[in-house]
Amino acid sequence: MIPLKFDYEVAESAQHAVELLGQHGDEAKLLAGGHSLLPIMKLRLAAPTVLIDIGRLNDLNYVREDGDKLAIGAMTRHTDVEHSDLVKSECGILAYTAGLVGDPQVRHRGTIGGSLAHGDAASDLPGVFLALDAEFKITGSGGDRTIAAADFFEDYLMTALAPDEILTEVRVPKLNGAGWSYRKFNRRAQDWAVVGVGAILERSNGSISSARIGFTNMASVPVRASATEQALSGASVDSIAEAAESAADGTSPSSDIAASSEFRQHLARVLTKRALDEALSR
Amino acid sequence: MTATQAPGKSVGAPISRVEGHLKVRGAATYAYEHRLDEPAYLHPLQSTIANGRVAKIDASRAEAEPGVVAVLTHENAPKLEAVGDAELEILQNGEVGFRGQFIGAVIADTFEAARYAAGLVEIEYEERETDADFRPDRDDLYTPEQLNAGFEPDTSVGDVDGALASAAVKFDATYTTPREHNNPMEPHSSIAVWDEGELTLYESTQGVYWTQNTIAPLFGLDAEKVHVISPHVGGGFGSKGLPHANVVLAALAAMLVEGRPVKFALTRHMMFSVAGYRTPTIQRIRLGADAEGKLSAICNDVVEQTSKIKEFAEQTGTSARMMYDSSNIQTTHLLAALDVAVPSWLRAPGEAPGMFALESAMDEMAIECDLDPVEFRIMNEPEKDLESGLPFSSRGLVACLREGAERFGWDGRNPTPRSERDGRWLVGTGVASSVYPVFSMGGNAATIRADSDGKYVVEIGAADIGTGTWTTLGQIAADELGVSFEDVEMKIGDTKFPNASGAGGSSGITSWGSTLVEAARSLREKIEAEHGGNIPDEGVEASAKMPKNPHRKEYAMYAFGAHFVEARVDEDTGEVRVPRMTSVFAAGRIINAKTARSQFMGGMVMGLSAALHEESVLDTRFGHVVNHDFAEYHIPTNADVGELDISWIEEDDPYVNPMGSKGIGEIGIVGSAAAVANAVYHATGTRVRELPITPDKLIS
Amino acid sequence: MKLECKVNGENREADGVREGESLLYILRERLDLPGSKNACEQGECGSCSVYMDGMLVCSCLVLAGQAEGREIVTVEGLADENELHPVQKSFIEAGAVQCGFCTPGLIVATHDLLERNAKPSDVEIREALAGNLCRCTGYEKILDAVKLAAAKNGNGA
Repeated sequence: MIPLKFDYEVAESAQHAVELLGQHGDEAKLLAGGHSLLPIMKLRLAAPTVLIDIGRLNDLNYVREDGDKLAIGAMTRHTDVEHSDLVKSECGILAYTAGLVGDPQVRHRGTIGGSLAHGDAASDLPGVFLALDAEFKITGSGGDRTIAAADFFEDYLMTALAPDEILTEVRVPKLNGAGWSYRKFNRRAQDWAVVGVGAILERSNGSISSARIGFTNMASVPVRASATEQALSGASVDSIAEAAESAADGTSPSSDIAASSEFRQHLARVLTKRALDEALSR
Repeated sequence: MTATQAPGKSVGAPISRVEGHLKVRGAATYAYEHRLDEPAYLHPLQSTIANGRVAKIDASRAEAEPGVVAVLTHENAPKLEAVGDAELEILQNGEVGFRGQFIGAVIADTFEAARYAAGLVEIEYEERETDADFRPDRDDLYTPEQLNAGFEPDTSVGDVDGALASAAVKFDATYTTPREHNNPMEPHSSIAVWDEGELTLYESTQGVYWTQNTIAPLFGLDAEKVHVISPHVGGGFGSKGLPHANVVLAALAAMLVEGRPVKFALTRHMMFSVAGYRTPTIQRIRLGADAEGKLSAICNDVVEQTSKIKEFAEQTGTSARMMYDSSNIQTTHLLAALDVAVPSWLRAPGEAPGMFALESAMDEMAIECDLDPVEFRIMNEPEKDLESGLPFSSRGLVACLREGAERFGWDGRNPTPRSERDGRWLVGTGVASSVYPVFSMGGNAATIRADSDGKYVVEIGAADIGTGTWTTLGQIAADELGVSFEDVEMKIGDTKFPNASGAGGSSGITSWGSTLVEAARSLREKIEAEHGGNIPDEGVEASAKMPKNPHRKEYAMYAFGAHFVEARVDEDTGEVRVPRMTSVFAAGRIINAKTARSQFMGGMVMGLSAALHEESVLDTRFGHVVNHDFAEYHIPTNADVGELDISWIEEDDPYVNPMGSKGIGEIGIVGSAAAVANAVYHATGTRVRELPITPDKLIS
Repeated sequence: MKLECKVNGENREADGVREGESLLYILRERLDLPGSKNACEQGECGSCSVYMDGMLVCSCLVLAGQAEGREIVTVEGLADENELHPVQKSFIEAGAVQCGFCTPGLIVATHDLLERNAKPSDVEIREALAGNLCRCTGYEKILDAVKLAAAKNGNGA
């Protein structure tokens, strides 16, 4: 199996990638780790005529502190995020979730930026970045812009990236002691999540000051469990079970061979409760 | 370590497989990897409709593409002989019988050119309505003339209806098993080359002679004009048993470029349409018993599916005919012929789906009768094979059940469902029996040559599809020759060696081994009679055919087993884990303790996989399998399998064959899905009668 | 395009490579290294696992251009015919090899696991090898093989 013909260009820098995108327009696709793009190209479900390889932009492979945030280069591989001491200590949910993406071979090639820019709500990271209220730095011909995770995911495999833009960095808040959990349900190890739930809980004096909950695979884009979040804001820790009952409210997940829409909603409620319980204990 | 085995003591020893050092270095040559000069590459054209005909095919753009050597279509394909096999007689007209069927091929200097040019061939179809909906209430179900392996479709002993009517305890339920695909790790691959009217096929096949005997008549050739070479095979599980149309396509293509090898490997996707699969089954099981739990009626009425272009009738109900004692037994098989790909063998065709239903029903019936499921089975143990009326050559089911119960810690089990939990996990245990016939296949011969240095070369066209044949046949030969294992060199997997049946029906060791024993005896006699007991300087050889087994008419021959499973079910999500499984087998004499263990284990896990994961989902509108890759067709990973405890009982069966062995390739899968389902029921109180047991089925 | 990379310690090059070719294809069809197997081409099965710059990857999902200038080690590069690597020996001894088609990928993946974790637990082994599908063995013997290899390494074997 090989993809349709395409030209292959190596970007020397993010700026160069933007220039190449500008030259080739809609026909071009960025290639990072390639673990989302190459399988669908082999199946001829995607057929870009130009691939711009940004996988060698080592200056976009980093994790660093940026005040009360962590800045992570878009070409940082899942395995690097998973094993980064800084991510583990300051944003544990991210290190943990990165370690659940696919299998070791996938994590060794796949990148944070590639996963997000692919825009698949069934992959584990988008929902977690949404729950983190992450910010995405985008570089384009007109310079840099920053966009909130909530505004980034537009539809299935569609993001706010313009054809000549490249995601260069993500910024996530340090959790500063907030509890967290990511619960993934799949039918077999290494699979995509049937449903995943990322939760971040901030507590003060025995009650919950805020809950942020992001879903994997509950819609064509990553979504938040808004009703549950609202129910928990300022609520007692005893209200988790009840609040989790509304986790699937307002969602209409798809039915496919992995699960029906109703079963996904059921899982969303169960996993939300478990994630919240775990976050509370962390 | 391969310890040196004393002469005559090889059989039974856990000898490491002799070709292992090649496989771990990536140096074993699989079909696609034979190094031949100037190969051409084939990429097939596959039908995108399920029923109709190719109205127009325009290959001009493809033919003009650089590197393209030829485009093969029904308009220019060499003629095949009419052998009455529409799966194999491809490209003889434009007819299309299922989606994915081969309708042509591009042959090119490079793989990329072939693949690219295939996309340039313009095809127009006249499409007919697709009929791919498998339902038990279709009005066109029919009874096949015979089932796979020649079994009768319908059997009846006694009066089932009468017995059911008067039974103190009655049971009636319907079970379904899904379409499943074999998915050996190695995709089916061929290199075909014609030279002066003779065809050489480098193949991934379960039988070089099965391939020869199927392919030669299609091309109007005497069998010996087709040479088949297949030293290493990356798994088959039935799908590489009889050749599929991919072999014919490669051979047809190679005719267009006579003298040049044509390479063709299926992609994983293609394997879901052209390489065989297990039919879905619908099985209505009825049981009747007296108040004590003694069975009075056993009935399995099977509905299954085949392709309109070629019949394959899985023998799903046969195990119900002989498994348990009853004066009244009835089995029936009905087929739906649809516009779908051709089903075929998948590890334990018949027994695997049939015993899921029967062994699930036995569990349900034990509960109805308020009996322990182990004891219920034991008290319904038959004294003879009720189908043939013959005594069993050996029947170790009860021993397996007892031994397994002991190893597993079955005694003291609380029969009440949902009686044990560990946090959110509901914990249950289940048991099921296993059975597989001792098949023997004809057409075997072997040659053994002794050299004056005391080394022996044994030749037989047998197959090792991962089973261990390279090693186990050497053990059998060594013992019969009275020499050490290291002094025997095996030569298999090539039609330049004597005629042999294939690896199928767990018949390999019985068939090949019996033949080797005969050849070894001949050689020893010859050395004794003609050379005074010494091997002459020029060496000496002897050949033999497989002798007839006189006991075949006197005894019914089966291997048996028992599976015990612990299942843990997440009460809220329906997630099922199987942390441990104990299986005990009664399979005659075990030839190689190491390779046997692997064979049992692999079968058990394939059954576990059938229980929890495997299901090929057919889009009935278009007649194709939707989840046609490893991303969506789930087989377990390392992380999905728990502890497996495997053992076997000592069984001395002098009737099955000279080794006293029974085939073990398939018995592991039989019953293991039922044991999982029974454990899931015990854990949750929810009986799942439709495989696979997906989480949603356990959440009400 | 022309590809140059180091494979099993040797500088290798391939001419006329099409951009869409995978590293797996190049290894098997152009560099005469068929040890890495082609079983799914979608990165699902791990049969094509190799090291690239010291990282375990599925070579079917590495494009030719992505391999340019990299250092590749395949199963053929882990040992020579005369002396198998302890991981390879262990797979044979433990009965973890059956049809052998998943074996090369599992050998490389196990090699990688033991490089990073000399004494992995059962859970760590199962998770680390979750990217390598096997249809024959049921995995139990593979687990045994990894533990045996870890023990051999520990003994300096």
